[in-house]
Amino acid sequence: MTSRDSRSPHGVGQRVPLIDGPSKVTGTAVYTDDIRLPGTLVGKILRSPHAHAKIVSIDTSAAESMPGVRAVVTGSRDLRTFGVLPISKDEVALAVDKVIYVGDCVAGVAADDEETALAACEAIRVEYEPLPIVGKADDALKECPPEQKLHPDTRHPSNLQKQVDQNFGDVDAAFAGADHVAKGNFRFIGVTHAFTEPHCVIAHFEPTGRLTVWSATQVPHYLHRDLAAVMDLPMHRIRVIRPMVGGAFGGKSDPFPHEMITALLSRRTGRPVKIRFDREEVFLTNHGRHPTKTSIGVACDGDGKLLGLDLDALIDGGAWGSFGVVTTYYNGVLSVGPYRFDNFRYRGRRVYTNKPPCGAMRGHGAVNSRFAFEVLIDELAEKCGVDAAEFRLRNLLPSNTTTLNGFRITSNGTEECIRRVVEASDWKNKRGKLPYGRGIGIACGFYISGSALRINWNKVPQSTAHLKIDMDGGVTVHCMAAEIGQGSDTMLAQCVAEVLGLPIEWIRVFSRDSDLDPIDLGSYSSRVTFMAGNAARRAAEVIRGKLCAAAARLTGYDAEGFDTRDGHVVWLPNPAIRVPYLDALLEAIAGKGALIAKGCYHDAPPMGGSHKGAAAGLSPTYSFQSYVTETEVDPETGFVKPVKVWAAHDCGKALNPLAVEMQIEGCLHMGLGQALMESFGYNRATVGNPSFLDYKIPGPLEMPDVEVHIVESDDPEGPFGAKEAGEGPLLPILPSLANAVRDAVGITMYELPMTPDRVLKEIEKKERASAVREASEAANPKETVR
Amino acid sequence: MILAPFTLHRPESLAEALSLAAKLPDGGYDWIGGGTDLLQNYKNRLNAKDHVIALDRVPEMRGISAERIGAGERLAVISESAVVRERWPGLAEAITHVASPLIRNSGTLGGNLLVETRCYYFNQTPFWRGTKGSCMKAESDECLVVPQKEICYAAYSGDLAPILGVLSATLELASPAGTREVRIDEFYAGDGIRKNVKRADEIIVGVKVPAEASTLRAGYRKLRHRDALDYPEMGCAAALRLDPSGRIELLRAATTAVDVVPHFLDFSELMRGQEPDTAFAEVAAAMEERAQPKKNTSMPVGYRKKMVRVYLGRLLDDLRAGRTEGRIPAA
Repeated sequence: MTSRDSRSPHGVGQRVPLIDGPSKVTGTAVYTDDIRLPGTLVGKILRSPHAHAKIVSIDTSAAESMPGVRAVVTGSRDLRTFGVLPISKDEVALAVDKVIYVGDCVAGVAADDEETALAACEAIRVEYEPLPIVGKADDALKECPPEQKLHPDTRHPSNLQKQVDQNFGDVDAAFAGADHVAKGNFRFIGVTHAFTEPHCVIAHFEPTGRLTVWSATQVPHYLHRDLAAVMDLPMHRIRVIRPMVGGAFGGKSDPFPHEMITALLSRRTGRPVKIRFDREEVFLTNHGRHPTKTSIGVACDGDGKLLGLDLDALIDGGAWGSFGVVTTYYNGVLSVGPYRFDNFRYRGRRVYTNKPPCGAMRGHGAVNSRFAFEVLIDELAEKCGVDAAEFRLRNLLPSNTTTLNGFRITSNGTEECIRRVVEASDWKNKRGKLPYGRGIGIACGFYISGSALRINWNKVPQSTAHLKIDMDGGVTVHCMAAEIGQGSDTMLAQCVAEVLGLPIEWIRVFSRDSDLDPIDLGSYSSRVTFMAGNAARRAAEVIRGKLCAAAARLTGYDAEGFDTRDGHVVWLPNPAIRVPYLDALLEAIAGKGALIAKGCYHDAPPMGGSHKGAAAGLSPTYSFQSYVTETEVDPETGFVKPVKVWAAHDCGKALNPLAVEMQIEGCLHMGLGQALMESFGYNRATVGNPSFLDYKIPGPLEMPDVEVHIVESDDPEGPFGAKEAGEGPLLPILPSLANAVRDAVGITMYELPMTPDRVLKEIEKKERASAVREASEAANPKETVR
Repeated sequence: MILAPFTLHRPESLAEALSLAAKLPDGGYDWIGGGTDLLQNYKNRLNAKDHVIALDRVPEMRGISAERIGAGERLAVISESAVVRERWPGLAEAITHVASPLIRNSGTLGGNLLVETRCYYFNQTPFWRGTKGSCMKAESDECLVVPQKEICYAAYSGDLAPILGVLSATLELASPAGTREVRIDEFYAGDGIRKNVKRADEIIVGVKVPAEASTLRAGYRKLRHRDALDYPEMGCAAALRLDPSGRIELLRAATTAVDVVPHFLDFSELMRGQEPDTAFAEVAAAMEERAQPKKNTSMPVGYRKKMVRVYLGRLLDDLRAGRTEGRIPAA
């Protein structure tokens, strides 16, 4: 469907400003910290100064006797452990017997005001007995006695949490028979989400014994489940509300200890308790992208046909499991597109270390391996004398196919993505032809659009939407899909506006209250547009049927001939026959009451292989990208300054091109941060730079010019053909920039971020090598013959 | 983070400010200009005092003229001032390197010259310091950068001292004992704790710029990750005048953030009459030689040192060619 065909001025394909934008820019949006319940106590958390230590004793008596202190809670074996994945519920609300990272929660305090709460934290006496620190991923692999394991109950005799081994085809044979092989050892430091709004939560145990929790979360449902477990309450006794969220990017996609602590403090005091982090606490809570060592080999034949990929990732998980098992799979399996090859071996290992936990972050699991893969593809292309863009075109997966590991590929716009950016960037006249210090590079991406299988094995639909229209004609859409700034409320409104043919002002979205809004599993894995969009569309289609039936009754024409558009119910065979929307509505309501409908997205069709871990990475559809980046590299200072990015992304169908463009630009900015300067550094096991001054996020002055190309492959199962646009567009920016740096100054960057000192070092190394080469050639010309 | 509690005083004149200070215990108060540096440290509980004397209402610290800039003037105002742009365009442009527009709207010239020295181990929260150990500039008596107890290696990180130094500016210091003038290039001394020759009861009232300054080509270049917000990892300034034959007549250079104090060197006598190319290379090398960065900022020490030569060399070339960075749109 093209935008001209849209039934609504704000329907599919229309550039619609986000419907919650005005409240944000006028300061009237209500974030969790804006909520002030009468009698709210201030909660604070006493955190561990040790990376690994036994807790010998905790004395809270002085704190508890301070005026204004209402409750102090500490860890207990009686509290259940929790965690977003059922297979790694290894987190505790408060440390029990030992602490395992600097920042680990040791005690919670509720007091009348912030000063008192902080003073009470200082008054708590904790005696620690330091344990050896597992600081590096390599150390975590070493066998150790159970007491030196962060999580003694895990099955490995070390701090290894999860190992994935997958093998398709015969990698060794493929490499042995290959004409060209490229190999590299890559190092990625951690990066973190750096969202604007710090974590904030309010918990209120009401006199009825019901618990209400307001939290800045992107996964209200998983919070709901784990609150039920930790507080030992049935889910119906808990209400979870997600107020406006000021950014998340995966950093609010776990149920967190502070949410449990707040609930415990409220249960103890009977009063509402609020915990709001300062920025340092956000850094300590982390759950950002894993520091990773990636060893990779890629092989091709003489014509540049990819033969195999051999991948190994050692993933530093920090103290907890979080999404880490998924991360471990994704580091491998999300490399099986967009290229076709027949041999693939992957070993992924995620380890526990005494550092703040890592978790899901935009582009979860795919970013680092993608970087390594795309950088080596350029090396291979060079080895076989094929242009880097052409090399990629020769190796693409087609549409409607299955990958070697059983992923079902349906819509696939990679080829168009490549062709568009190659043409727009004048690639053919620039690649290899720009002056020294200026270069151009290309890379592709591949990402899931929702996980085909749910995290918890049950029969609850992945997403459900309820619609209601009463006599005023306004449409209420209820769905717990978490609006976190990505525009999901607007997306839901547009889907409904499109089906009902109404302007968006008629649509109101309610997506925050578990008592009122039906379940959606949350905003992660780029699932919301695909799943919640389908749910909302299906609910709206039920209502449209009722409106058409009403119009048929009013006019005497057949219901099947009617459709909703532009505020009317129109008889398509003769559009002059039409009933105004409100007239049809009143007829539909008559004798029945408000129109109510529900729709859901339950599951993708059965898919996938039967090997171990076959479900990981299965998605109802995948997004594809290709970027060309042009950059300057200052050979004397090492500064990399990207100048322009041509960014093509296949999102199936841009429900809202404005929102898609914003997502692409946002992804690009975030990816550039990891590529150029962001570094979640450690001083031993302490976060080195827990502030926005020292954690360097690129500013507006660092942003290149961005030209977005939206490619629409019209997904057969997506709502109106749509699939994700929030994460995949992060993937190509890092390698396309690195490949541009290579084109500019002839160096390969195996380590991120590409800080100027590192780049300069590589340039100098290359210059030294070429000086030595020239000197030896000059001294002994025959030598060069070898 | 909660601001450390203090009593705020807001004197209406220089005399009142000085007499207020005289009544407070030694070391018991801080002066505050724009507060963009001091209050951040107070939030981190770094040497917070019980009394803070605000200087925003002191008329003697205001005013911008062809000879003098009041130390209480806001950085944005100075940078946008027609007098400054006309007479000392290098200063106007250097100011645009400081932090961000919002901070320049608040921060003052005096505050920038007195910006607290910075160190990875010092500019951290109380929790962080409780984890890693505190340093001699905060609660303990030991340096964590260069383990010893004599010298604090926190880096001087002001952006404006270098450019004002190469313009031969002078500071007016006032205290209950009277006023005195100190050349900027002689003002900074000591280490990361002692910092400069200003006594605690003295205020920088104004900065005098000699008439000669407006005849010089001068500029500032700054090394940092981002082209806004960040403190310098290294900064350098230079002032240049060539004689009619294109040879060196005057050449001064300065660096910041590569030692506990800024470095100033006047190469005029040494280089007078020399060809610029040779002179520039020697000056840049000499300033690099003097740089002594320590491992207490974001970028590696060797890189920061090496960049003195690159940045200063480029700056000198730019000055000779009459090039600016273009950070201030042409009028």
